[in-house]
Amino acid sequence: MTMERIEKQIPWYFTPAVVIVAGCLVAIVNFGVRSSFGLFTAPISEAHAWPREIFSFGLALQNLLWGIATPVAGALADRYGAARVIMIGAIVYAIGTCLMAIADTPIIFHLSAGIMVGIGIAMSSFGIVMAALGRIVPPDRRSWAFGMATASGSLGQFIFAPLGAALITAYGWQHALMILGVSSLLIVLFAVPLLVQNTSSTKLTKGEADITMRQAIGGAFGHRSYVMLVSGFFVCGFQLAFITVHLPPYLAEHGISKEFAGLAMGAIGLFNVVGSYTSGIIGGKFQKRFPLSVIYVLRSLSILGFIMFPITTTTTLIFTATMGFLWLSTVPLTMGLVTVMFGTRYMATLYGFVFLSHQIGSFFGVWLGGRLYDMYGNYDVVWWLSIALGLFAALVHLPIKEVRAAKFAVA
Amino acid sequence: MGWPGHRLAITLFVTVIVAWIAVMAVLMRRSSLPADATGPMLAVFEPGTPADDIFAKLTFAGAKPVRQTAFGFIWVVAGDEPGLAGRLAAQGAIGTYRELPLNPSIAGCFALADAKITEYTGL
Repeated sequence: MTMERIEKQIPWYFTPAVVIVAGCLVAIVNFGVRSSFGLFTAPISEAHAWPREIFSFGLALQNLLWGIATPVAGALADRYGAARVIMIGAIVYAIGTCLMAIADTPIIFHLSAGIMVGIGIAMSSFGIVMAALGRIVPPDRRSWAFGMATASGSLGQFIFAPLGAALITAYGWQHALMILGVSSLLIVLFAVPLLVQNTSSTKLTKGEADITMRQAIGGAFGHRSYVMLVSGFFVCGFQLAFITVHLPPYLAEHGISKEFAGLAMGAIGLFNVVGSYTSGIIGGKFQKRFPLSVIYVLRSLSILGFIMFPITTTTTLIFTATMGFLWLSTVPLTMGLVTVMFGTRYMATLYGFVFLSHQIGSFFGVWLGGRLYDMYGNYDVVWWLSIALGLFAALVHLPIKEVRAAKFAVA
Repeated sequence: MGWPGHRLAITLFVTVIVAWIAVMAVLMRRSSLPADATGPMLAVFEPGTPADDIFAKLTFAGAKPVRQTAFGFIWVVAGDEPGLAGRLAAQGAIGTYRELPLNPSIAGCFALADAKITEYTGL
């Protein structure tokens, strides 16, 4: 049977291009909707006369749940298929977002914005999308596909923040949240082509050992290279969360206007798209641990340069553009390494644990940023800690062995 | 079976961005102010208009300049007499909008997109 005949037998919505585009659209909406939530801090707090802490706690809970639920969502995706998990996640995400609009007590707000949205994001996140794409595309195109999915998530972040703001202005915050909630249901539609992917319960990929999920998780955590990857990704979360939350006040302290700070933060989003995509291409051509190490070294150098020179609009823009380029560029390479070491069968689960480490790092980045600022009256210690952690991450990735782990390969 | 490549990525990203600009322009239209409006607002002028000219136009319209954004043709202004939006339009502002809860420069760019779409398509 020729390739043309095989291609003709596949419905158009299961062709590679449509499946990849569908995965990217899922990533855009998933990452995008949540990126606009910060805009609702003031309107929701003012409407209910709540202190800011209630909204902040809801979003902190959301981030925590996102991290904790990701390995579970990954396990479900590996067992029952990514598309089904993404679809259910999107429904939970939509209900949670709509409930945020009508929540009139802190408990209901924390349940909706924190728990439901957190779980919904985890179940429909680009980690699950990448696992689906990883099973569909051949190994030589995998890194590129991961890069494209990550870049799509970055693009979602970039475009949804102004969209959320415009919705608030045009329709008011409650309707804006409802519209965002309903728009997250688009994920259900976009996930349909991903139904083509197989799961761990259907078939083994060539060269993969027939092991259970429990054996896979145990085997991964007993594998030195995986532990290194998990610890390295903690640093990624630490640096990104610290910069996201604490850079604007740091810039304000150095006389950079709020307006320019907003533009500079926008540059992170824009360059993030380019960086993520480029990293996917690089990961497909070279061994992944080297570019990963280089990214962390460059992040440390970029932070060092930023804090050593006087803070001006030019240095700020250079810093945010550079950090933007390096922002999520770790993701395609990290996901790629998980696939190389353990194959595609349990990749969503195993990437889920790596991502959990990222979220724990995020928690510490945000919390320590504030704590150490209160102790020392400036951010210097945290900046230096970020530099040191970046160098640690660069070193810890170098000894990673880019080969299939023994327990995951057929003898 | 052929596997897609960079062309697919570029096509997807460009399509999404074009759709985004169109949606943002529609939302900016919803946020645009009627001629009798007053209060804080974004005033968008033709790009390239000298800052001194814009300042003079704002003064003639009775607007209080609050601040110029990173893009010189977009200003945040205020006023308390009804009809400020209409007077700004009469002075050459291509649009007046409620200030969005995001960077005014970015908001102004979408406002400009809205004005240009109206100018070229008549929609």
